[in-house]
Amino acid sequence: MPGTTESDRLLIDRVRAGEEGAWRALIDRFEGRLAAYVSSRLGDRSAAEDVVQETFIGFLTSLPNYDRRRPLESYLFSIAAHKLTDRLRREGRRPALPLSAVGASDASQWEPVGPARRASSIARSGERCRLEDGALASALRKQIDHYRNSGQWKKLQCVELLFVRGRANKEVAEQLGLGEQAVANYKFDFLAKLRAAVRGQKLPEEVFPELYEE
Amino acid sequence: MPTIRQSDLDAYLDEALPPEEMARIEQALRADKELARTLAGVVARRDAGVHSLGAVWRRHRLSCPTRDQLGSYLLDALDEEESAYIDFHVEQVGCRLCRANLLDLENRRREADTTTQARRRRYFQSSAGHLRGEG
Repeated sequence: MPGTTESDRLLIDRVRAGEEGAWRALIDRFEGRLAAYVSSRLGDRSAAEDVVQETFIGFLTSLPNYDRRRPLESYLFSIAAHKLTDRLRREGRRPALPLSAVGASDASQWEPVGPARRASSIARSGERCRLEDGALASALRKQIDHYRNSGQWKKLQCVELLFVRGRANKEVAEQLGLGEQAVANYKFDFLAKLRAAVRGQKLPEEVFPELYEE
Repeated sequence: MPTIRQSDLDAYLDEALPPEEMARIEQALRADKELARTLAGVVARRDAGVHSLGAVWRRHRLSCPTRDQLGSYLLDALDEEESAYIDFHVEQVGCRLCRANLLDLENRRREADTTTQARRRRYFQSSAGHLRGEG
């Protein structure tokens, strides 16, 4: 799992101090992967470069609020996704959606809050949502690391297709060459462990509906 | 043509699906009012603070390999199982961010320095005016 390296932390500290060399180094380090991400959706190279440029400017704008525990690469990708979505919407490729639906908690850091954002309700619920999100992420990470460290790659692939790609048991069984019963067992075991972790933290069940679906 | 599921719409909102699937959903949303209503439902659940396992998994990148691992993968320096998992994660799950990293790593080995340097200079010049020390 990509995290913030010590080198990223030092670089951010130097950028925060206004050091141009550090900013140049940050651009050198990340522009290629951001360009590759954006270009895969925008055929036009110069449009993709505009979006990457807006991403870097968005990063500097949000820097005073940037939490250095957050992985830098993921943070930059999330800004790029937001800028890309805006671009596609302007071009008429993406249907318009309420702004609050698209990475609202992230976008608030690099965009001014408009009246349509219902800022007070988002701010009120933000802290609670972050706690729940963190608890679920921690439970998922524990289980994923367990599969990975014990070489249970098939189980990891199985739950990733089920929950990240939303595939049905039957499809997962076919795709991975497993029996349907084995897929059902892996799913049951995985959900049971997540439920136990969530209950242990006394979090409300209703905000994690997938954990209780059978 | 594969069905568009709620999980696909959830990933669509995060701009996280492979480009061909993103384009397919965009096209379908224009033609299918029922799908647009389903998407509105996904949006409403997010706004109500409901967490989806897939969205949390993606946001925290819980199964993404590190950049170093991706580099080793390209050099064929990982063990067979780990390498097969990265194939799966990139090709079958379709992780956009890992794809972008792989492409960048490949490009860095190939691309002429002059093109890269000119592009980076442009990014620097257009953004350095926003740089300010906090101390």
